[in-house]
Amino acid sequence: MLATAALGLMTVFPLVWMLVISLKPASDVFTPSLIPEQPTLGNFLYVLTEVPFLRYLFNSFFVSATVTVAALFFHSMAGYSLARLRFPGRDILFLAMFSTFLVSLPVIIVPLFILTRTLHMLDSYAGLIIPAIFNAFGIFLLRQYYLSLPRELEEAAIMDGASYWRIYWSIILPLSRPILSALAILFFLANWNAFLWPLTITSDLNLWVVQVAIANFKSQYAAAWNYVMAASTIVAVPMLVLFVIFQRQIMESIKTSGLK
Amino acid sequence: MHADEMKSPAAGAKSARGLTAKQRERYAAWLFVLPDALGLLVFVGVPMLLSLAVGFFEVNGFGGYRFVGLGNYRRMWSDPLFWSSVKVTVAYAVMLVPALYAAGLGLALLVQKTNRFNAVMRSMFFAPQMVSLVVVALVWQLMLVEKVGIVSRLAPLVGLSGISLLGDPNLALFTLVLVSVWFLMGFYMLIFLGGLQDIPAEYYEAAKIDGAGPVTSFWYITLPLLKPTSFFVLLVSLVAAVAGGQVFDLIYVMTKGGPVNSTSVLIIYIYKQAFQFGAFGYASAMASLLVLALMLVTVFFFLLTRGGRFEHD
Amino acid sequence: MTDKTTLNRRRLIQGGATFAAAGLTGFPFINRMALRAQEAPLKFWQFYAPGGDVKPQVQWFEKLVADWNDGHDQKVELEYVVNSEYISGSKLATAFASGEGPDIFLISPGDFLRYYNGGVLADLTPHIEDAAKADFPESVIANRMVDGKIYGVPMEVEPMAFYYSVKAFEEAKLNENDVPKTWDELLAVAKKLTTPNRYGVLFETTPGYYQNFTWYPFLWQGGGEFQGKDGKSAFDSAATVQALKLWQDAINTGVAPRQVVGGGFDIVANLGAGLCAMQSCGIWGISAMDNNAKDVPYGIFKLPTPANGKYVTVGGGWAFVANAGGKNPDASAQFCAWALASMDQGSIDRVVNWCTVAKSDMPPRNSALKAGADVFSTGKFGTFAKEIHPGTRAEPRVPPEAYKIISDAIQSAQLGGVDAQQAATAASQQLDAFLASYSGAPIL
Repeated sequence: MLATAALGLMTVFPLVWMLVISLKPASDVFTPSLIPEQPTLGNFLYVLTEVPFLRYLFNSFFVSATVTVAALFFHSMAGYSLARLRFPGRDILFLAMFSTFLVSLPVIIVPLFILTRTLHMLDSYAGLIIPAIFNAFGIFLLRQYYLSLPRELEEAAIMDGASYWRIYWSIILPLSRPILSALAILFFLANWNAFLWPLTITSDLNLWVVQVAIANFKSQYAAAWNYVMAASTIVAVPMLVLFVIFQRQIMESIKTSGLK
Repeated sequence: MHADEMKSPAAGAKSARGLTAKQRERYAAWLFVLPDALGLLVFVGVPMLLSLAVGFFEVNGFGGYRFVGLGNYRRMWSDPLFWSSVKVTVAYAVMLVPALYAAGLGLALLVQKTNRFNAVMRSMFFAPQMVSLVVVALVWQLMLVEKVGIVSRLAPLVGLSGISLLGDPNLALFTLVLVSVWFLMGFYMLIFLGGLQDIPAEYYEAAKIDGAGPVTSFWYITLPLLKPTSFFVLLVSLVAAVAGGQVFDLIYVMTKGGPVNSTSVLIIYIYKQAFQFGAFGYASAMASLLVLALMLVTVFFFLLTRGGRFEHD
Repeated sequence: MTDKTTLNRRRLIQGGATFAAAGLTGFPFINRMALRAQEAPLKFWQFYAPGGDVKPQVQWFEKLVADWNDGHDQKVELEYVVNSEYISGSKLATAFASGEGPDIFLISPGDFLRYYNGGVLADLTPHIEDAAKADFPESVIANRMVDGKIYGVPMEVEPMAFYYSVKAFEEAKLNENDVPKTWDELLAVAKKLTTPNRYGVLFETTPGYYQNFTWYPFLWQGGGEFQGKDGKSAFDSAATVQALKLWQDAINTGVAPRQVVGGGFDIVANLGAGLCAMQSCGIWGISAMDNNAKDVPYGIFKLPTPANGKYVTVGGGWAFVANAGGKNPDASAQFCAWALASMDQGSIDRVVNWCTVAKSDMPPRNSALKAGADVFSTGKFGTFAKEIHPGTRAEPRVPPEAYKIISDAIQSAQLGGVDAQQAATAASQQLDAFLASYSGAPIL
């Protein structure tokens, strides 16, 4: 138990250190004391007055939430179909869809950019949201989950002549609650933390997300670690607070949904 | 005519209209997959195919294209930097994948029992995941500043003085592996917790009655029954190590591939060729090869696990 | 019921029309023509405004564009790109590769050939009068010219020098008379200045164009070049070896860090934060220190020389360029010339303003040097103008492939511990192979 506690503390130490530095004045950044001698909120005040972080937080939140909801909806449909309905070419289609998981963004960013431009989505929320929705990983996890559900669940419904949509909507979806909430967190996190794509397609400062803003802040204030850490804390805190509030649900749902 | 037929199953109409049950199921299935299949095709498939096509051209980055056939692929063969990137990628994956497996499983075993203390601990182990890599990289950079960063100040206490964890080409990759494990292990811990939970407690009780110790139980019950989870963890962490966006972000922000190319993994080299040198054709060829290699690995995994079902043997 | 169906039908027709319209405008060619007809503003990409943090720089750019828009039909619009991403990220490359590049943008000499050889740079010469041409010293404009034509207007000249912390010197019982004049002295002084919490001297360690840039003067001081008069590699020379060895010795003797904070160009994060006592940095360091490290007294001295060499430093700096494939290349080119290369007093004042108020740089024009004489002749500026700048050689425009070869040589000697001679020989062979296959504008 002691070893576990020590490991846990070591794990969160970098995050604690971020907070510690964000409370220190510039002159104390490299002093090794864990408790700031003259704690100050000045760094946060400075950062919040210099940079419209609230606007960027809103953008991040809006984009991440929209992507998450849309992605969960589409992926659960696809996962249901790929796991529980029979049609020719199913395994090939699944393999093809899964193989897109192997393609990372830097590899396709130029063609994707051209495509987004052709669809008139540069510098818009649509451009931030739509390409981010489609993700094979989510489909894969949902398919795995649906494969593990017993077949009898829907057989009775099919006998009764219920449509597949009905089965999906009133039998499958309610059963997916744990995995959907687990995935919601993972998707939200992934989008909240996305950097390269938002950077590439937005020029309008009003569309910046927090990760772009923090990168910009860093390149302007590389020397001012106290400000950089305060800004980092501001960017990290919404996620950490959500996490602390919902941590039991988050943990349980990820654990019991049987991601495997 | 077809559109009308296809609507019926999903719209909830009766199975009339002359469709057999089989056809009904088939059309419904297609409709359900359609949005995602289309989205993936448009936003990943098409760009990937374009990228594959571009790999046969010499591109100047400003709209100039010249067909060179397999020229870009031949260039790889004689490009020492390509081979050194492959080596770094392999070294990184060889260190990261087992380390993540061990860390994930180890932590999961450590906090397996459900109680309040373990709940707090699980959260602590998962916490790094909640922070973006831009922020993570910044924090680690600060801690690793030579001489005065907190890690550099603490290093002499464990007998390591005067080392530069990011500046020494013999250490930089190792340091990045450690930071990657720190960042990613919480996710894999949760997956292992899920897997452990599926193992019926009776197995352990029976083993105990037979006089098996914890080590024996681990080898003969836990590990074999975790096979599906293990497959998943290995595949996902391998893809993450070789082509993952998170790994890219981390290396890009922390070392930019240096010192002396010692952390220049293949995705970093591809990125540099494309965006610093404007050699999009060459970069696309390397990217295509990387995706192909991963595809082979995946197909192998799928064959091994009978279509990714990861069933128990 | 009927109401519902008519409504549906109307909606359907509307929807169809919208869809058709979207389809039409979605066709990129038509759309771009439409944009051209509307005379959409020219996009000016840079990393200063409006998202930048240094107010005078933001104001300078905003005034520049406002002044232009006052008197011209073709408007210009500022678009800000995050600094680090502009310099080494993917944003520009992605935009250009997809034909969506900005109309006006900034480039450094390191990028010049890539853009020029790609056919992207518009010829600015027709918009620059002869008197203005003569106003740019040869050493400043040469690396922006091909075949006598000007393709970029420099906005600044940024020579490299050494900065030192007065406090660190005092602690080591040194004073301004002890500033090193030779390489040997540099290493010796650095050793005295090194403490458990501080390095004596700092050279850039992050691989990139900037690292090469800061290394060139050490190569040149011993008479070294990477390309000879015959067009072949001249890299395998004693000058190369001693320059590589200097940086290697600094690391091996423990007086220089293996890893810098933020980047070697960031003087506040390193020297200002007390992490090193001497730092090789450009003239921009003056305003950086004066604005962000007010309480850290510092001095400046010119680059020390090797025993057998003569003084020379390198001058970088960014230039305005116009996109030949942009919406209105002619107006874009005119804008660049109007902004920085006109004999108009407004243009000269703009250059003076940029180099004295917005930044601390040497002006690229003789007239601006004269117009700002009172600033350029006093204080730290004076040191630069009188002692450091006279030995300035323009940053060479190295194609990316050659840059990478030189970068690998520097990295492997400095941080990889590879024998300097071996690194030089290996790089020279690669350079020869590259130069033999290179076909573009001459490298300088």
